[in-house]
Amino acid sequence: MGRQATEMLKGTLEGIVLAILSTRAAYGYEITAWLREQGFSDIAEGTIYALLVRIEQRGLVDVAKVPSEKGPPRKVYSLNAQGREYLEEFWKTWAFLTERLEQLRQGGDQA
Amino acid sequence: MTREPDESKSRYLKYLEVVTGSLDEKRRYRQYKARIKQLPENYRIAVEALERYLMHFGPVDGAGAMEMYEDLADLFEQSVSDGTPIRDLFGDDPVEFVEAFIQNYPAGQYRARERARFTNAVARAAGEEDGTV
Repeated sequence: MGRQATEMLKGTLEGIVLAILSTRAAYGYEITAWLREQGFSDIAEGTIYALLVRIEQRGLVDVAKVPSEKGPPRKVYSLNAQGREYLEEFWKTWAFLTERLEQLRQGGDQA
Repeated sequence: MTREPDESKSRYLKYLEVVTGSLDEKRRYRQYKARIKQLPENYRIAVEALERYLMHFGPVDGAGAMEMYEDLADLFEQSVSDGTPIRDLFGDDPVEFVEAFIQNYPAGQYRARERARFTNAVARAAGEEDGTV
């Protein structure tokens, strides 16, 4: 993944993670693994963790501690109502951004 | 042995904490250090380097800092248990990771004060009302 892709990804990572969590609950490692599979190979697991801490603090996810056979209990994150609202907002912003960028590519906004 | 903050504290304890800082925070910090000691050596070396960075640039005081250390210990214990390699955990640019992490916790007094001072100075220079903290 190039520098440019990494920089762009930074601004959208929160939305991406919330979108993943809107389909099913997951723990940190699963989210990172999924992102790597999708080709987002440069993302540090620590960075994803920092993001999960943030969305938990902001009340966008519910967290359940699930015991695991080895190691400490896993924190499983699922999107709650507030998180869904926030994700909705993210998609609106995303639509706005892509529309404007597409206009730019097509030769500028005539208005 | 969890204790409700302040309620059950004797006057003596309260007095002592004025002198020594919060005993509860000291206890939490000791517990954190004990958890880090249990990590495999290469993880421990990385965490200790991270701690050094946090001492300079992280929130260094208060309950927020303790929460930060505990969240860190959670991350490292989980990574050891998942077998996540150090490089995958920290990424190509460890500073980027640590800065993203620090953002989640209240700035230490020094940083908070200087940020407020800067913000207010700009407000005054811009001719806006109220430039005081």
